[in-house]
Amino acid sequence: MQVLAILRDLVRYNLEFAAGLILVGLVVAMALLSFVSPYPPLDVYVVAPDVPPSWDYFFGTTSRGQDVFWQLTLAIRNTLTFGIVVAVLSRLIALMVGLVAGYKGGWIDRVLMSINDTFVVIPLFPILVLFYFIMRDAMSWAMLALITAALGWAYDARLIRAMAMSLRTREFTNQAYFSGASTGRILVQEHLPFVLPIVFSTTMNNINWSIGIEVTLSVLGFTDINTPTVGGMIYWANQHTALVAGVWWWIAFPVALVVMLFVGLFLLAISMNEYIDPRSRLARMGGGA
Amino acid sequence: MKPFLAYLAKRLLQFAVVVFIGVNITYVITHATPIDPVEQSVTAATSFGVTSPEAVEMMRASLRELYGLEGSPVEQYLSFWRRVVVGDFGPSLSAFPTPVSTLIWRAMPWTVGLLLASTLMTWIIGNLIGGLAGYYRRNRLLKLAGIVSMGVHPIPYYIVAFVLLIVFGFVWPVLPISGGASMNVNREDSFGFALDVLLHSILPSLSLMAVGIGGWFMGMRALVSNIVTEDYVTYAELAGVGRRRILRSYVMRNALGPQVTGLALQLGAIFNGAIITEQVFGYPGLGSLLISGVHAGDYSLVLGITSVSIIAVSAAVLVIDLLFPLIDPRVEVR
Amino acid sequence: MRVIRLLMLALASLIASTAASSAQGTISDLPRRETLILENPEGTIKNPGWFNIWAINAGGQYTGLHQLALDTLWYIDPERGLDGSWQNSLAAEKPIYNADFTEMTVKLRPGIFWSDGVEFTADDLVYTVETQIKTPGMRWSALLSLNVDSVQKVDAQTVVFKLKKPNSRFHALFTVRFNAIWMMPKHIFEKAPDPLRFDFNKPVSLGAYTLNSYDPDGKWFLWQRRDDWQRTTLGRYGEPGPKYVAYVDPGPPDKRVIAQLNHDLDVIHDVAPEGMFTLAKQSKSLKTWFKGFPFGHPDPTLPAVIFNLQNPTFQNHDVRWALALLIDIRAVAMASYRGAATISAIAIPPTGTHPDDYHKPMQDWLAGFELDTGKEKIKPYDPTMGQQIATMLRPSMGDQIPTDPAEIARSFGYGWWKPNPTAAAELLERAGYSKRGDAWYTPDGKPFAIKIMVEGDSRPVMTRAGTMIAQQWRQFGIDAKIDVAQGTNMLDRRGAGDFDTFIGWSVETYGGHPDLAFFLDSWHSQFVAPAGKTQSPRNWQRLTSPELDKLIEQIRTVSFEDPKTVELGRDYAKFMVREMPIIPLMAYNVFTAMDETYWTGYPTAEDPYTDPVPNWGNSRLMMVRLKPTQP
Repeated sequence: MQVLAILRDLVRYNLEFAAGLILVGLVVAMALLSFVSPYPPLDVYVVAPDVPPSWDYFFGTTSRGQDVFWQLTLAIRNTLTFGIVVAVLSRLIALMVGLVAGYKGGWIDRVLMSINDTFVVIPLFPILVLFYFIMRDAMSWAMLALITAALGWAYDARLIRAMAMSLRTREFTNQAYFSGASTGRILVQEHLPFVLPIVFSTTMNNINWSIGIEVTLSVLGFTDINTPTVGGMIYWANQHTALVAGVWWWIAFPVALVVMLFVGLFLLAISMNEYIDPRSRLARMGGGA
Repeated sequence: MKPFLAYLAKRLLQFAVVVFIGVNITYVITHATPIDPVEQSVTAATSFGVTSPEAVEMMRASLRELYGLEGSPVEQYLSFWRRVVVGDFGPSLSAFPTPVSTLIWRAMPWTVGLLLASTLMTWIIGNLIGGLAGYYRRNRLLKLAGIVSMGVHPIPYYIVAFVLLIVFGFVWPVLPISGGASMNVNREDSFGFALDVLLHSILPSLSLMAVGIGGWFMGMRALVSNIVTEDYVTYAELAGVGRRRILRSYVMRNALGPQVTGLALQLGAIFNGAIITEQVFGYPGLGSLLISGVHAGDYSLVLGITSVSIIAVSAAVLVIDLLFPLIDPRVEVR
Repeated sequence: MRVIRLLMLALASLIASTAASSAQGTISDLPRRETLILENPEGTIKNPGWFNIWAINAGGQYTGLHQLALDTLWYIDPERGLDGSWQNSLAAEKPIYNADFTEMTVKLRPGIFWSDGVEFTADDLVYTVETQIKTPGMRWSALLSLNVDSVQKVDAQTVVFKLKKPNSRFHALFTVRFNAIWMMPKHIFEKAPDPLRFDFNKPVSLGAYTLNSYDPDGKWFLWQRRDDWQRTTLGRYGEPGPKYVAYVDPGPPDKRVIAQLNHDLDVIHDVAPEGMFTLAKQSKSLKTWFKGFPFGHPDPTLPAVIFNLQNPTFQNHDVRWALALLIDIRAVAMASYRGAATISAIAIPPTGTHPDDYHKPMQDWLAGFELDTGKEKIKPYDPTMGQQIATMLRPSMGDQIPTDPAEIARSFGYGWWKPNPTAAAELLERAGYSKRGDAWYTPDGKPFAIKIMVEGDSRPVMTRAGTMIAQQWRQFGIDAKIDVAQGTNMLDRRGAGDFDTFIGWSVETYGGHPDLAFFLDSWHSQFVAPAGKTQSPRNWQRLTSPELDKLIEQIRTVSFEDPKTVELGRDYAKFMVREMPIIPLMAYNVFTAMDETYWTGYPTAEDPYTDPVPNWGNSRLMMVRLKPTQP
């Protein structure tokens, strides 16, 4: 109920949130459409190749004889799933590390933060390329998601830790501690609800980041390019020199859709950030200093 | 001075630890590869032209000896570290016997140049526009700049680079889209060469900048809008201090601090962007070298480049961390 | 705001100034009209200052180095050649063998000089052979050590080889079919302490061009015609046209097309079929091997579905034939090359002189070939497949498709196996397979699943072919999937036999000469590796056949000049049809695109004096025939 009220406020007062919601909504709708796709996902040459957008083929067809529209629904579903899975996994790690480090302090905090700093500083892309290098075709999507999640928690763990440190000094924490609650219970029951809003907004950014990684790796051919994904579509388009051959729709639509997703998620993230900070929320709603 | 020295020592230790862990991880990963460099060379040599199965066997044996791939894993690990400490990553296995460090040093200036130039420009321009936007809240031009930069910011580097390639290479071909410099440019003629290099770096820098500006813009604008409500700024305004002076000395200078820290944290991500951009534009830097090393199965090279990237980024972060207390006197060194 | 305005002004003036200079071009101060620019498919060379081609995996090879700067005894052209496909280059005449092929005598051509003025003599040949035998680990060390017992200089122009065992094709080591053992300059290398670690920079040329300059970042190499070009073996054909020749890395396929459309790239090595079609549509100065469809040059290499014959599933001849009968080559040609493919039903590439020696004469035998499926006898060969592909393409490609049957046969190929799912089902049933519902099951009751290994990004056309074949097998009820293995991973797995089937080639021939021993000799069962061990090229299918062994041994005893080799070649083709250890698909068409804005005289199907594909050592003949378009 409180969540609904928050959503209502956000939509009513925050143009960015509304815009973001619409964009993301459109993308998710596309992804859901994939379940009614009339073509099997892996097949090629099922329709006439290189047909420009028309009533028969909304987004045209590719040089491989696939319908761009339906292929895109599958692609965006796979890409989105990947992004969400990575975001969820890395949130879990970030939460664990951040909350524990912030609450416990001392040497646990220092050790965790050293590990954290290592991950912040290490350039991720060469490491991912490295993994691909050794695993080649053994690199399934699940594996890739796991590895990406393992590399994507560092930045946000710091944020959570900062929050946890401030929460530690609050009254209710001491109360819970002195009434005998275990660390686990304190973290989960008392601190987690405070931390969740931040986690939520960082999730949006994290989804963007992981999808960015997927698109980049796929475009370079470093993933399993048989499963349709947005990056994979661009990869195949490049293989067939689509732009030079004039088949612009093969590239334009996936890029447009993925940009919509990115911008949409981004808008959601910043509007939620603004909402969380009470001063800006009030300023937005027309009150306060 | 004393607390600074202690801080320095702590940060140096941290630097060493991070590099050590990072390079170790990379070493483990590369040596977990089942790729056999001898097989690569043999196949490369026998793909065309006459060959016989017996000849291939002989070649395999002699190459194994030549590449020196003996020794237990522990011995290999120790000799690896012994060499790395003096900056020697061994010979490249796809350009034998040229040392990996030679290849890296050749590509390094291109990447460093690109990164340095574009990162500085992005940071300066982003913060400048962001600061102005945070102060002059009603200026429409600034609002537009904000929307554009924030719109481009979430798009992955690859797509932005790709779009720029299409626009300036295909639709309106006025900029070079490939390579670091033109063919047969006389490198002795330093002005001509410099100009040519500059030309070739425009598109790659532009794509890095397009993505980066939005981030700094937003951060700076938020910081500035907070500072603007601070008491001392209001006081200065009331006291009749010129707007420009307030903006420069009171507002921006205080906002810069967190942005410098932000720069340190972003360096890893910016490096990623540079690698991808290099691929798109065929820029002869570390990124292109890394990708070609992966395709050739040359794990010496891949190991070398990744290690160098880790060291470089960590060092840059260290430098920024050390300079930070000098910029912002409010920071206490603990 | 002043700051912002200043910034914008700076940016605008920068862009304006760059627009003024012709910024798209890659050349800065070369005379474009005297320069030929070709693509080097090696891409950007990691180690550009290394020119010692005799060390393995050390530097670039096709940067113009082996095409223009190096030379050796003989060349065999994949096409007709300027004066016949066999060329005596540094040798004055053909190799002279003794009766039992244990000795070979070479007579060298006098009057050939290295670019630094030193004359080429028998000393260089002897040095090349002895150094590589003494230093294991050089590119041809193994081949020479295995074959050569001794090499002696008889006089400045004569060398005698004594071989360790009879080898009627020993000369092949020095005969350029793409490349061969190049001559080392004795006077340069003997000064180097270790030939494996000597970078040979600046290289001394034996060919008609010397190195002018190169890019320290490895993107281009510039060669210049020697003033004393008459003192090289190319000189006997005339003065090479281009004064400067540049081999460059133009980047990914779309950039290559853009570069050629801007007339900054004269010869594209290879591009996707779509890129070629775009060039055909948009470039007024395009020259291709075939005037119309399929444009590309069929290289003497035969992509096929290669079975792993050590896998028990594929040891049954019925299963292999069934899988062959499920393939619709028309769809595969469309999927892979967009129809621009030259198909072949026999295991010999349909290019060079082979159609005249093998494909055409065997049409009758193929049409009459009978296959027993267990339930019926069928004649699976359809001689009109090539024509059917042409007909399919005519509506969309119009008059770019030839109408003359002989031309169609040349461009698209003759016939192929007619897709016949009924016969395939019968063959599988005879082999013990059964169909339940929509899926096929093996005799052990397990679902019949096959993986086709393809190279993905590195060879997009073949990957598309594999994808289509997998789809066709899937539609029949077999659980077929493609399995992408790129670059080095593919090489490892191919060698290790870690695959069910893969799309690749184990058949590579001379093109301009009917002798098949070039690849066939390595198919002898003596070279087959046991399962789990690495297989040496080229018998990737690990075929072991006493019948084929006898054929190979016969070929070994016959001189490669003997017309009997053609007969034996036909016997080989018939054996391959009957047993079907690989399913031949088509020639490897390379979409080499040539631009006539600055140069004219390229080789084409009407004037097939060599293979235009620029990384072949044989492509040096082009230099002699190219003349400037704009004088």
